[in-house]
Amino acid sequence: MDLPGPTHDILVAFLGSVLLLGGMGVVLLTNPIYSAFSLGLVLVCISLFYISSNSFFVAAAQLLIYVGAINVLIIFAVMFMNGSEYSNDSYFCTVGDGVTSLVCISIFFSLITIISDTSWYGIIWTTRSNQIIEQDLISTAQQIGIHLSTDFYLPFELISIILLVSLIGVITMARQ
Amino acid sequence: MMFEHVLFLSVYLFAIGLYGLITSRNMVRALMCLELILNSVNINLVTFSDIFDSRQLKGNIFSIFIIAVAAAEAAIGLAIVSSIHRNRKSTRINQSNLLNN
Repeated sequence: MDLPGPTHDILVAFLGSVLLLGGMGVVLLTNPIYSAFSLGLVLVCISLFYISSNSFFVAAAQLLIYVGAINVLIIFAVMFMNGSEYSNDSYFCTVGDGVTSLVCISIFFSLITIISDTSWYGIIWTTRSNQIIEQDLISTAQQIGIHLSTDFYLPFELISIILLVSLIGVITMARQ
Repeated sequence: MMFEHVLFLSVYLFAIGLYGLITSRNMVRALMCLELILNSVNINLVTFSDIFDSRQLKGNIFSIFIIAVAAAEAAIGLAIVSSIHRNRKSTRINQSNLLNN
């Protein structure tokens, strides 16, 4: 969706602030049911990001599969295991937590400096120059369908086999 | 440029997901943090597909594959967690030593 400039900036800033708070909430909240709902909020905001970057099919797939299937499954699993043991699970900091936070913060800042140092404008210019100029008469969902049935036919079938095998394995593991 | 800010958000999600994956003591919370890491990868793929490859849309197809694999992974992980919970009455990560005895 090609929004005008200030609207897009305000949307990205709002979704980014929600993502910051939601990501902190997934990790730092003590009750797992609250962190599961926070994960749902983060997934909905990520699908709005996809809508703002012109990829509607992935946004719909994100809403259907992540929010509708995975997050509901996680909430079911949290409610299925009784919550009595989580209440006395006091969150105390150990040495390992400090070392892990140090490593993660160093990874974060090194990746941010790498992204800031890369000259994206040159890469955009080189890829735009040798791109075939063609009118996109078909929509993006049709284009994804064409790619899935021609170029990516074998991975598509392999994904379906993986889903079948994993769901059969889940059923046999859960009903024993 | 707003494109780099989206990349910064994806780096933030990756870092906090890695922190939660390592330090969490609950298995379900570790699975949630794994979903955060996969979502940061998906944000990167969709953003680069929108900026660099808006004709071919191959990043969108790879992100659809990642979503399918993440669905299978979440189902298997939660089945393993429920099986461990049935045997040991606990979902703490440091108490899952079923192979030990």
